Amino acid sequence: MATLHQRIANPPDFHDEGHGYDMFGLYPPRLADVVVAARPLYERYFRVRSSGAFRIPPGPVILVANHAGVLPVDGAVLCLDVLRQSEPTRIPRAIADQFIPRLPLVSTAFARLGVVSGTRANVRWLLEHGELIVIFPEGVSGPAKPFRERYTLQRWTVGFAELAIRHRAAIVPVAILGSEESWPVIAKLGVRLFGAPYLPIPLSPVPLPVHYEVRYAPPIHLDNDPSDADDPDVVAAVADRVRAELEQQLADSRLVRRGVFR
Amino acid sequence: MRVLVTGATWGVGAALVRRLVEEPGVELVLAVGRDGADPPVSHARLAYRVADLGRARAVHDLVMGDARAHAIDRVFHADENALSSLDLVHACTNHPTIRRLVYRSFAEVYALGHTTANIIDEDSRLDFDPTSPRWVRHRVEADTALCARMHGPLSIAVLRFAEVFAAGARSQLWDYARSRVCLRPLGFDPMINVLSMEDAVEAALAALRSTAVGVFNIPGADTLPLSAVIAECHRMDIPVPGPLLAPLYSLRTSVTGLEFRYDLNFRRFHFGAVLDGTRAHEQLGFTPQFQIHWPAPWWQQFAAKLRG
Repeated sequence: MATLHQRIANPPDFHDEGHGYDMFGLYPPRLADVVVAARPLYERYFRVRSSGAFRIPPGPVILVANHAGVLPVDGAVLCLDVLRQSEPTRIPRAIADQFIPRLPLVSTAFARLGVVSGTRANVRWLLEHGELIVIFPEGVSGPAKPFRERYTLQRWTVGFAELAIRHRAAIVPVAILGSEESWPVIAKLGVRLFGAPYLPIPLSPVPLPVHYEVRYAPPIHLDNDPSDADDPDVVAAVADRVRAELEQQLADSRLVRRGVFR
Repeated sequence: MRVLVTGATWGVGAALVRRLVEEPGVELVLAVGRDGADPPVSHARLAYRVADLGRARAVHDLVMGDARAHAIDRVFHADENALSSLDLVHACTNHPTIRRLVYRSFAEVYALGHTTANIIDEDSRLDFDPTSPRWVRHRVEADTALCARMHGPLSIAVLRFAEVFAAGARSQLWDYARSRVCLRPLGFDPMINVLSMEDAVEAALAALRSTAVGVFNIPGADTLPLSAVIAECHRMDIPVPGPLLAPLYSLRTSVTGLEFRYDLNFRRFHFGAVLDGTRAHEQLGFTPQFQIHWPAPWWQQFAAKLRG
């Protein structure tokens, strides 16, 4: 039986461009090293509880999740969870804001781990090649919301819905608990570094050891014709449907949550 | 086929001429080089002319003189003077025998930055930034001028080649990798796609044979990070803070005379970009097959020299 490192370092359906990297810069052995090194964080610090990863279907998939926190720790936890729980192993391609490529070190590190800049052509390529992508439709409005509005979905972009219709991708809503309390923002400075919209000031210098939960809802398989992606009303309806599913998933998850740190 | 090849004494043009003269179905190759340059090969099927295509009169005389006399039906334009393309397409349009023009363009015509995609298809934005280096602006102008004439009587194909990574191809990356020490921006390691000379010739041949009109990206079979390019060339890889690179490489150019210019490569040394070759695959039947012949380590080259 292959180890976690072996499964990730040699993923099925990896689009190797001839030197061990895919065209976005993903390097599976490096990703495997990071996943193994992050095991203490996943198992002991955040004590991640995962349910429903078996629901992730094959083929092109869009994971849609709620978003919070100073830095995308929730994205990292979700990606770690997908890598550890999916069978066969699927490499999640987190879709990043377009200012990320400007960041030295971060841009390169993210690329090696599978993060992809959120341009239309990039995402189209990924879905056309059957990959699994991770999108936070709230964008920066999610982390920017005040603490009192935690677990309330903010501005909801519809691009993911258009992509799902156009490329016949399944949508899996994912509720993430813990991101809101782990690294709350207490202030936002209007300083734009490398194109980031603001400079967040966190409550603590590092994320707090809250208990993370990742819950996957049943996949939504759209029966739309790809041409419906050009109809704004159809796209908005799909986006709203997914939002409602995710809100319900969040509400249900919070009801059974044992506690923030337990 | 009776083919006119410009820029025939170096790089892709020369390699294409050497291939065409051996190709069944090619009756004649009219190769054009600059003053002082020798023809790439001697062959019964080769006619060689010297012309400075930077002058409109020279272009006109070539096309209406030699090309008409030899009943040329296809043209592959790889002359280094990009703006000669404008005169060439004007002369070839309504020509009595020329039916097809294939223009060798460059991936550098595409705009590249933090908001551009990693996958560049033919509909991606071109670099119309007026502050871009003149080398880029001329090629964008030539490329767009040919695209504008695509639906006229002349069948035109514009091939946007990835960087041909080979000696004699006037490749910026090849020149960059000639140094024992390669500097790159600290914190950035973008994906680079390079094309072998063999694949460049195959793409040119496919385009000459085809009747498909349009713009076609021609990617290479090697996609790898910049650090891996340096490692494959057995060079020392040193990341330095970005602002130091331009003055350091200017100094290198003035001291050594080598041609690598950091201003031409600034963006691709920060932002990865790979050409999407789907259209060339579907319409020209071209898929890159030949990987780069990476240079051997210096000790192997030395040993080979000793062995003679």
